[in-house]
Amino acid sequence: MDQDLRRVIFETFSEVFETMFFTFLEPLEEAPGKEDLGQGRFVEAAISYSGGCNGRFLFYFPWELGKNITVNFLGVDEDGVQEGQVKDTAAETANMAIGGLLGKLDPGGNASLAIPQARVLAEFSPETLLGEPGLCMFSTEFGILWVVGTHA
Amino acid sequence: MAFNILVTDDSETMRAVIKKTVSMSGVPVGEFHEACNGKEALAILAETWIDVILSDINMPEMGGMELLKKVSEDEDLRKIPLIFITTEASDARKEEAKKFGVAGYVKKPFQPETIKAILYEVLEKAYAHRLEDQPGEEDAGESDF
Repeated sequence: MDQDLRRVIFETFSEVFETMFFTFLEPLEEAPGKEDLGQGRFVEAAISYSGGCNGRFLFYFPWELGKNITVNFLGVDEDGVQEGQVKDTAAETANMAIGGLLGKLDPGGNASLAIPQARVLAEFSPETLLGEPGLCMFSTEFGILWVVGTHA
Repeated sequence: MAFNILVTDDSETMRAVIKKTVSMSGVPVGEFHEACNGKEALAILAETWIDVILSDINMPEMGGMELLKKVSEDEDLRKIPLIFITTEASDARKEEAKKFGVAGYVKKPFQPETIKAILYEVLEKAYAHRLEDQPGEEDAGESDF
């Protein structure tokens, strides 16, 4: 993935996270050490698009990040957040982030977004993502957001 | 006089956020109705008095653009203003929506002030007489349309 695309991804995702969840993203240039990878419960959100251009993005939210953006999004207490709401927020995040990205990469609007899907991964290790060519990592106060994407 | 608002989005959390945003905007709301796609929205419109529709575009079964087309083809329903709240904000989508008479267009992610401003603008155009008794609203955002 080239640097221009990475820059547009960062700008677009930051707009979504700051506007909707009051959460700031910081791009990570290098993978963290093994002890900082944040293995455990994650929410995975997947979205693809096709038409004028094609692509697929997978988002991996550590549970704490997923829960906290849901709290900020809905304005509810942390204890009142349900798993379905976290999944729904993750899917909507993927929708907004990639919808926004597509608006910049394909301003003519020939590509169509598919419906985003989300699921909970009970035991996931982001180590499996290291080495993926389309990997982007963003540091947040609730852990690292991992994104793997392809765009053509 | 209050307005009945239909919120159409396949994301339950997004529907909740939109309802909360509208409730806090000061727009007098009678009842909120919710649909998770265009098909459900049409079923509600067939049975319920709705004053304004807030709809996503990218939804399963029937998307927002098809909903807008169906609404625009119906002699009674076409009077109901429809505002898109969507990630799909390309010029081509906006032009298509304009062709079928969309009343407003809000791009996600949105600031609450943007929804408030566009909702008031649309309601004032469609139902000026019903807003006469409401306190005046300052411009609080910009339409993306």
